[in-house]
Amino acid sequence: MDESVFISTPDHVTLEFELAGPGSRFSAYIIDFVFSVVLIVVIVLALYASGALVTLRSLVGAARGSSWGASWIMALVVLIIFLINWGYYVLFEGLGKGSTPGKKRVGIRVIRQDGLPIGLREAALRNLVRAADMLPPPSYILGGLVMHFDPQGRRLGDMLAGTYVVVEKFDLAAQGASGAAWASRVEQGRSRQALTLPRGTISPQQIGLIERFLARRHELSEERRAQLVWQIAEPLLPMLGEDRDSLARRHDRTERCEWLLMQIIELAQAKAPNIAVAEKTTPPAALF
Amino acid sequence: MQNADEKLEQWTQFYRRAQRILQAGPRGLRKLTGAELTRLIDDYQALTADLARARSLGAARETVDQLNRIAVAGHNLIYGQIRLREGGATSRGFASFAAVVRRHAWAVALAALMFFGSAVVSFVAVELNPSLGYDLLSDEFLDFDPASPDNLHHIPSLARPVVSSLIISNNIQVTLLAFGFGLTAGIGTSLLLIFNGIHLGSVAGWMSLHGKDRALWGWIMPHGATELLAICLAGAAGYILASAIIAPGQLRRATALKRVGGQALTIELGCMVMLVIAGLIEGFVSPSAVDYTSRIAVLLASVALWALYFFGAGRNRNERLADEPPSN
Repeated sequence: MDESVFISTPDHVTLEFELAGPGSRFSAYIIDFVFSVVLIVVIVLALYASGALVTLRSLVGAARGSSWGASWIMALVVLIIFLINWGYYVLFEGLGKGSTPGKKRVGIRVIRQDGLPIGLREAALRNLVRAADMLPPPSYILGGLVMHFDPQGRRLGDMLAGTYVVVEKFDLAAQGASGAAWASRVEQGRSRQALTLPRGTISPQQIGLIERFLARRHELSEERRAQLVWQIAEPLLPMLGEDRDSLARRHDRTERCEWLLMQIIELAQAKAPNIAVAEKTTPPAALF
Repeated sequence: MQNADEKLEQWTQFYRRAQRILQAGPRGLRKLTGAELTRLIDDYQALTADLARARSLGAARETVDQLNRIAVAGHNLIYGQIRLREGGATSRGFASFAAVVRRHAWAVALAALMFFGSAVVSFVAVELNPSLGYDLLSDEFLDFDPASPDNLHHIPSLARPVVSSLIISNNIQVTLLAFGFGLTAGIGTSLLLIFNGIHLGSVAGWMSLHGKDRALWGWIMPHGATELLAICLAGAAGYILASAIIAPGQLRRATALKRVGGQALTIELGCMVMLVIAGLIEGFVSPSAVDYTSRIAVLLASVALWALYFFGAGRNRNERLADEPPSN
C-alpha cells in the first residue's frame, strides 16, 4: 500500500492525501462498533421506558386496547435496531463529510477520488456492501486482503463507491508559527539551502529527508526507526566528526543518531534565513 | 513582496474563511458578492501556486503539508459546488429505478432464473420424492397447520405491527446481502438466490402434497408478487456488480465497479421501498380474514402496477439515451 494518494484537480493543482492504514481503520471500526451498540441499548431502553408508560396508562384504564401503543413501540424498536445496524455508517459518513465518531477519534475520513468529501450516495455504496468485505463474517478477511493488494488501500466497498480513506491530521494553530520561516523562503524562490560544514556539505535533498524522517519517526516501528536512522545518518558521520565503527557498537546508537540529525536541522534552520551563498551546491559524490 | 508573517496570516485567513463558507452549507458560495468571490478565487490561485512552488523547491515537509491542507479546503469549497451527474444515469427520481432495471434486464433474467429455477426444481423434486421434504424443511413446516383452508397464518391484529417490521427488516437484510455479495463475483448472490428458491419450492411442494396448497397460495398472493420481484431485482443488482468484476472490459476492475455502482445502488434502494410495501401487506393484509377472491385481486393489481411501472416509467423521454456510453 502506498503512503499517499495524489489527486490532480482541473486547475492542475496536485493535492496530496495521506492514506489511512489498516491499523487506524480497524481501531476506528472498533470504536464505531462499541458506539453503535451503546446507541442501540440507549434508544431501546428509552423506548421501552416510554412503552412501559403506555402500558401503565392502559392498566390505569385510560382507554381499552391502548396496548396498541406498546405494540407499535415494539415495531419501532425492531426498525431502529435494523436502521442502526445497517445505517450507522451510511448516515454518519454521508451527513458528516466522510467521518464517523470512531473515524473522527482516530483522525481519518473518507473522500471521493476527486478529493471532495463524500455524500450520501458514496456512503451508501461503500457501507451497504460491507457484508462482502466482512467475509467470512465477521473476520474482514476478504476486505483485508483486497486492501493489502490495492496500492491505495481500498476495500471492495471503497472501489465500488470510488473512495479513499485518508488521514486527517491538521491543526492550524499548532503548526502556524513553524511554517512561517519556511514560507518566506518559498516566497522568495529559494528554499532550503545546502548546509556547508567544515568537513563537507549536506545537500538540500538530504536535509529534506532528515526532516521527513524526524517528523514521522514516532509513527514507525522501533525496528524500522532504528534501521532508517542508521541509513540516513551513516554517510553523514564523517562530516560530523563521529567515528562510524564505535558508534555502530553503541547500545544507544539510534538515540545518538537522531540527536545528530536534529543538530543538523537546527543548524540548517538557523543558517538558512541569513545565508546568501549559492544554494545549488552539488553534493559530494560520496553521499548517496 | 510579503514577508513570512503576512503570508501565513493570509493563508490562515483564507482557511478560516473557507471553513466558514463550507459550514454554511452547499449554498454558502451563493451568498458572496462578486468582489468577495473574485478575492476568494484569487487567494486560492495564489495559494495553489505557493503549494506548487513549495513542493518543487523542496520546502519543509510540514510547510507543504500545511499548504496542501489549506488548498484542500479551498478546493472542496470551490469545486464542491459542482456536482456532476453520474455517468450513465438516464433518468432522475421516480423513473430512474425502472429505467435502470430495464437497462439491466439480463441481470434480472439471470437472478429470476436462479431463484425461480431452483424453486421449480425443488418443487418437482419434493413432489416426486416426498421424503426429500424431511431433509429440506424444518419441523414447523412439516406439520404446519393452516389457519384456514384459504390462508396459512392468522396473526392477531395486536401483533401485526411487530410482525410487519420484523418481516421488512429481515427481507431488506436478505436483499442487502444479495446486492453486496455481488462483489464475490456473483457467487454469494447465486448461493443466496438458490437457497431461498429451494426453500420456497420445497415448502410449496410439501404443502401441495398434503393438500394445503390453496392455503399457501392464499397466504402468498397478496404480498408475493412484490416481495419475490424485489428479491430478484436485488439479485440483479448483485449480478451487475459481479459483471464489473468478471468482465471489466478495457477498464480496471475498480474503475468498472465504480461505473456501475450507482446503478446497482438505485436498484437496491428501489428494492427496499418495494419490500416496505410488501412487508406492510404481509403483516397486515395476508394474515387477516380477507377472502380468497380479494387475495387474487390484490395479486393481480400488484402485478399490473409493477408491470406498468417497470415497462413504462420514464421510457418516452429518456430511453434512447440509455444506449449511449456513459459520459465519465
